[in-house]
Amino acid sequence: MLVDYYTARKTLQKYKIKSVESRYVSSADDAIEFWNQKGMIVMKALSDKALHKSKSGLVELYLARDKQIKEAYSRLTRKAKSLKIKGYKIIAQRMINNGKEIIIGGNIDQQFGKMILLGLGGVYVETFKDFALRVCPITRRDALSMLNQLKSRSVIAPDKKSESMIVDLLLKASKMFSSNNMSEMDLNPIILHDGTYDAVDLRMLR
Amino acid sequence: MVNNKKPHIDLSPIMSPKSVAVVGASAKPGKVGNAIMQNYIDVGFQGKLYPINVNAADKIMGFKAYKSILDVKEPIDLAVISVPAEIVPKVLEECGKAKARGVVLVTSGFAEVGRIDLQDRIVAISKKYRMPLMGPNCLGVMDTRSRNDTLFLPTSKIDRPKIGGVSFVSQSGSVGSSLLDLISGEGFGLAKFISYGNAAVIDEVDLLDYLAHDKETKVIVYYIEGVKRGKEFVELAKTATKLKPVVILKGGMTPSGASAAHSHTASLAGSSQAYEAVFKQFGFVEAHTLEDLLYFAKIFDTQPLTPGNRVAILTNGGGHGVLATDALYNNGLVSPQLNKENQKALRKIMPSIVNIRLPLDIGGDAGSDRFSAALDALSRDENVDAIMAITLFQTPGADESVANAIVEHAAKKLKPLVAVSTGSTYTRSHVSLMEEGGVPVYDSPDAAAKALAALISYTRYKQGMP
Repeated sequence: MLVDYYTARKTLQKYKIKSVESRYVSSADDAIEFWNQKGMIVMKALSDKALHKSKSGLVELYLARDKQIKEAYSRLTRKAKSLKIKGYKIIAQRMINNGKEIIIGGNIDQQFGKMILLGLGGVYVETFKDFALRVCPITRRDALSMLNQLKSRSVIAPDKKSESMIVDLLLKASKMFSSNNMSEMDLNPIILHDGTYDAVDLRMLR
Repeated sequence: MVNNKKPHIDLSPIMSPKSVAVVGASAKPGKVGNAIMQNYIDVGFQGKLYPINVNAADKIMGFKAYKSILDVKEPIDLAVISVPAEIVPKVLEECGKAKARGVVLVTSGFAEVGRIDLQDRIVAISKKYRMPLMGPNCLGVMDTRSRNDTLFLPTSKIDRPKIGGVSFVSQSGSVGSSLLDLISGEGFGLAKFISYGNAAVIDEVDLLDYLAHDKETKVIVYYIEGVKRGKEFVELAKTATKLKPVVILKGGMTPSGASAAHSHTASLAGSSQAYEAVFKQFGFVEAHTLEDLLYFAKIFDTQPLTPGNRVAILTNGGGHGVLATDALYNNGLVSPQLNKENQKALRKIMPSIVNIRLPLDIGGDAGSDRFSAALDALSRDENVDAIMAITLFQTPGADESVANAIVEHAAKKLKPLVAVSTGSTYTRSHVSLMEEGGVPVYDSPDAAAKALAALISYTRYKQGMP
């Protein structure tokens, strides 16, 4: 069962993993209030089923005006209805521009138990399949070797600072996945930007 | 929580028994029980041999025969059973009562053909008598030192390797026996061979535990199609791979990510990927082909470890030097520069046609003196971590003395040294000479580079380097 976004966010906070400012919205006005005339926002329809949200048209990006937000809100509700998605919720998030996207995930292997994954994230995750996998719990050496294994290593961790940021984040995520009742986890994307990062989509399954 | 951990199993009665009962022994050629007896005779087993057969006459193949193992009345370390599956439970009970200390169950017709019930029965009997059991559906074991050999493959059809430090474990009998045959043609020797079949009782975890602590085993080579106790395998691997290299090939690695996954992670992280991750994380040397198993086994068996990836290429053929440089690059290795001192020293020794730089091409007319001088310089050079010596025996200068020079140098074990010789009849005889002398020889620069890369990456793991 999919863990509610707010609950997932709280779990992340407990492990000091940062995620982007978000709020469920039940109307376009709600979303406009959340936007509060600051930067740009994103809106997404979340549900148990929809794994490929962008492909299904369930993500609205670059929203920075009342009118844009209103139109996007009605497009999302229409789309969700046409796809017959039951029990969906619309979430508004601050939009992060110009970052690099990674995925940190968790899965239970039949033989070896809980496994942690690090990879090039975003919409290309299954296209490039550039990822590294390890058995939980992982050591710092494991985390570094996972990063070193990626073809996209120099893109996502071009310097020592970003390297140690990702390693720390991976260690926290591994700890979180190991010690909580979760069967699958996708933190995808986690956007690396401005010397920091923010987890954007949080998909945890019990 | 209930502790389901299996107790440590003592495999020594199975591996190096002092007395063996061959249950199902037969005087009729063509029977498995006949081949097993014949092998014990052929390989010169030094312990006591008791043929057992319900229809036994006085003697089978010159040994006093018994109708039941219970009639032997002497201590029995190992019972090798090859009777039909349906009567295995009865025979196994008798082995338990006779206090046999271990069993190799060769017979097939159990879980592998859906007879899980029958397999469960033998597992229960093995537990009841605390009698370790290998198989069913296996070839069993071969120990080159004690000459215990349960293989029912006639010595006329499959060569037996010489005594050495590599132990080879194979879940599959066919992969096991064919590779065993190949190993006997290689320069390195074997400590133990184990084909464990259905792993009903003794499984890959028990075997890893045993071999990791076995003094005669320097290198462990594994062919598996899966492990049954994943978490315990991982726990054990943490110690085992630090003690000695474990080269592993897993069959069935084609990607099979969960198709109806609810997350990207689950769809990416299938079972093959999990195995691959385990191998990387816990210091296994992963092989991708049967050739890899042999290539890696021989470098680990003979060469010192190094964490450095700077490989000096020494060659008597220019083209092979180019190919070798590519091979280094493709395997994450680098070709270094010689230090000034060695450049000067080599300039003095080598004729003017030789360019003093790496890859060091010492010319088609190079004989043992040039090879020896170059090897000495490369071994002294702090910029060089390992050496790939390409010895092409088609060249006018190369003969037996070159092979001997390589062997002499390798014996010093200063740095990892591999040789590359590509060729046919004349080359092969020199390859044998070098391999007998403890030099791992490869037929292509790529195979040699792959083996060096495996050695380096294992050393780095062992030394805790990222």
